[in-house]
Amino acid sequence: MRNSIISWKYFLAAYLIAVPAMSETTINIAGWGAKSGPLRSFGVNSQAIIDAAITRVNENGGVTLEDGTKAMMAVEYYDSGCNAEQGIAVARKVASETNALIGIGPTCSGVAAASFGVFQKKVDDASDTGLQMALLTDTAVRNGLAKISQWTFRNTPNEPDMYDKLFAWVAENRPEIKTIYGGTETDQGHSAGTYSKVIVQAAVRHGFEWVNGPIEGVNGTIVEGFKNVLSSSSNWLMADTNFSVQARAFKKSGADMFIVSSHPFTTCGFLKELYRQKGMPKMLVGLTSSSSAETMKGCSKQVEGMIIPTSFAPITDAAKEVAALAEANGGAADLHSAAAWENVMIIKQVIESVGITGDPANLQDERRKIRDGLEALETTEGLLGTVSRVQDEGEALKPYVFVQAQSGNWEVIHDPR
Amino acid sequence: MEYYFGILQTLGFHVLLGYSAYILLLTGQLSLAQVGFFAIGAYASGILTVLFEWHIFPALFIGAIAAGCMAFMVGFPALRIKGLMLVIATIAFSEIVRLIFFNLRWRFEINGLEVGPDGAQGFREIRYFAANGWEIYEIVWLIWTMVAVATILLWWLDQIKAGAILRAIGSDELAAESSGINVTSVKIVAMACGGVIAGLSGGLYAHSTTYVDHNTFTVLLATFAVSYPLVGGLKSVFGTLAAVIFIQGILIEGLRFLGDYRTILFGALIILVMNFKPKGIVDENFVKGISEYLRLNKKLIK
Repeated sequence: MRNSIISWKYFLAAYLIAVPAMSETTINIAGWGAKSGPLRSFGVNSQAIIDAAITRVNENGGVTLEDGTKAMMAVEYYDSGCNAEQGIAVARKVASETNALIGIGPTCSGVAAASFGVFQKKVDDASDTGLQMALLTDTAVRNGLAKISQWTFRNTPNEPDMYDKLFAWVAENRPEIKTIYGGTETDQGHSAGTYSKVIVQAAVRHGFEWVNGPIEGVNGTIVEGFKNVLSSSSNWLMADTNFSVQARAFKKSGADMFIVSSHPFTTCGFLKELYRQKGMPKMLVGLTSSSSAETMKGCSKQVEGMIIPTSFAPITDAAKEVAALAEANGGAADLHSAAAWENVMIIKQVIESVGITGDPANLQDERRKIRDGLEALETTEGLLGTVSRVQDEGEALKPYVFVQAQSGNWEVIHDPR
Repeated sequence: MEYYFGILQTLGFHVLLGYSAYILLLTGQLSLAQVGFFAIGAYASGILTVLFEWHIFPALFIGAIAAGCMAFMVGFPALRIKGLMLVIATIAFSEIVRLIFFNLRWRFEINGLEVGPDGAQGFREIRYFAANGWEIYEIVWLIWTMVAVATILLWWLDQIKAGAILRAIGSDELAAESSGINVTSVKIVAMACGGVIAGLSGGLYAHSTTYVDHNTFTVLLATFAVSYPLVGGLKSVFGTLAAVIFIQGILIEGLRFLGDYRTILFGALIILVMNFKPKGIVDENFVKGISEYLRLNKKLIK
């Protein structure tokens, strides 16, 4: 009997040493994105992965608070559609009506541009009445958004760097590819902006020639001559369903490489028509956002061979696990949604490094601590490796790989990490 | 409270947008051009406060006047046609305006930051309110003062001869013309007034959201604009107010968790109202009921 009591005492002591005290506190975070409308899948994917990441953090004991106790994390995900008004309404709701320490989102760059604008532009500017809560974006990828406010940060890929390296690699490995031609969905800021200001310039920088002769003003420098790029291309709109004219123009151009800068839905529409017209080129290059499951579901046959730089592919153990968890939660992991996993882990890391009590009475002070903690980060651990932070702009430099559509899957063809 | 004030902001500029359609609907004209005037007001006032660093009041005023002038000019050709043709013509106008702003790139550096409309990338940094220390309740106060003024003016319009003329044209254009009313002039004036209100609403919208782009001004927003007075009823200006609160406050914001189903509910609401309350929720019977209720209460108090 006595031995039994002693062993229970040892067990209890060992348990208390091994398991830090659990706090009653819950650390709340909020997420929002498009869970309705045409871009619904983006929000669904993000939410699936945020939920999985929160579950993982909690399974591992939660997050360590300032006093050394552990707290569970909880997330509430809101549907902001792809609508600026709704995005702002959610941002205000989260900032003023919840105890969320930080937000993750939104999906659309237009919503990000609007909702970042209602945040305080510069911290400690008493004359600026904008919202004061940190936001760490996973999806909205249009260039340069995070600098709208010092409270907004992004963990989205750096497209200028990715396309620069992609074309350098293509130039080296596919010397037979000489000429390029392309098009974009002009009513989508990300697609059109990246195409006309980044992708074509990167291609020209690495020696590829526009098929009909040089485009005036385009010398390889980012943004230079972007209007002429658009007017020299054959473009469409996101709501278009007929691409026969554009496909004919692509085919007629006879270029070695076609650049298709568009979201999955229109990428598929366009490629199906191009395929029907037997106009497939020697090489296809796509927009980062198209390296997703939606494209494969929509047109795996026609997209075959397309090369895209992406900041996510299931090539590491962690990335494979996230892809599996996303699927189990009813979503899919891609370069946008996988960033949500990283964001949750970054938030956990920051909470633990700056010391958070989780006490709602300190909410505003702790939101500020989180912001300062995010700003202080120089690197974070991503699913594909170390992510560097460009902190004066609140942006990230993420590792990436080049994937190619092969037999219904995105296969990694080059890993420049 | 920030959130509830935010909702009040949204309701405010939607009420004004609804009023801009209401005044034209009184003359029996269904116009989807209001979203075009809304866009003109948004961009014009945004450009004035951001690129020229104007104060918000003259910027809103010029935005509203610019939209009103455009409505006046559009009114001449557009209001010579009616019914479905007018709907098509006004959609075309709104699309032209949307595509102009889609292609508008007018940017220069102010205080080390390049600002201004940037084509498909939109027009950001319209941060007059936050940058000038306006608290959100002050913005709400401004918006709802505008709403109150517009409501009073439209209610008063209904009490005087001008309102009777508008309704006479709406009821029977031929009869109104036979009794000496210059129908085209009245419709154009109504169009211009609607344009001013929509422009004002657009200016307030742009400064509240801090960002506008061509995707904001789609046919969907135009549909919302005309659906407010149609669902609310044309009997009273308060019908539009009630419809905005119901559609934007309850259907869109209150039922956010329903996601895409909200759009289905919106469609179902329109179908239900058209079938069971063809004159809108605030129709003659509703107004009569309210009047009787108030009269009864008065008697009881006495």
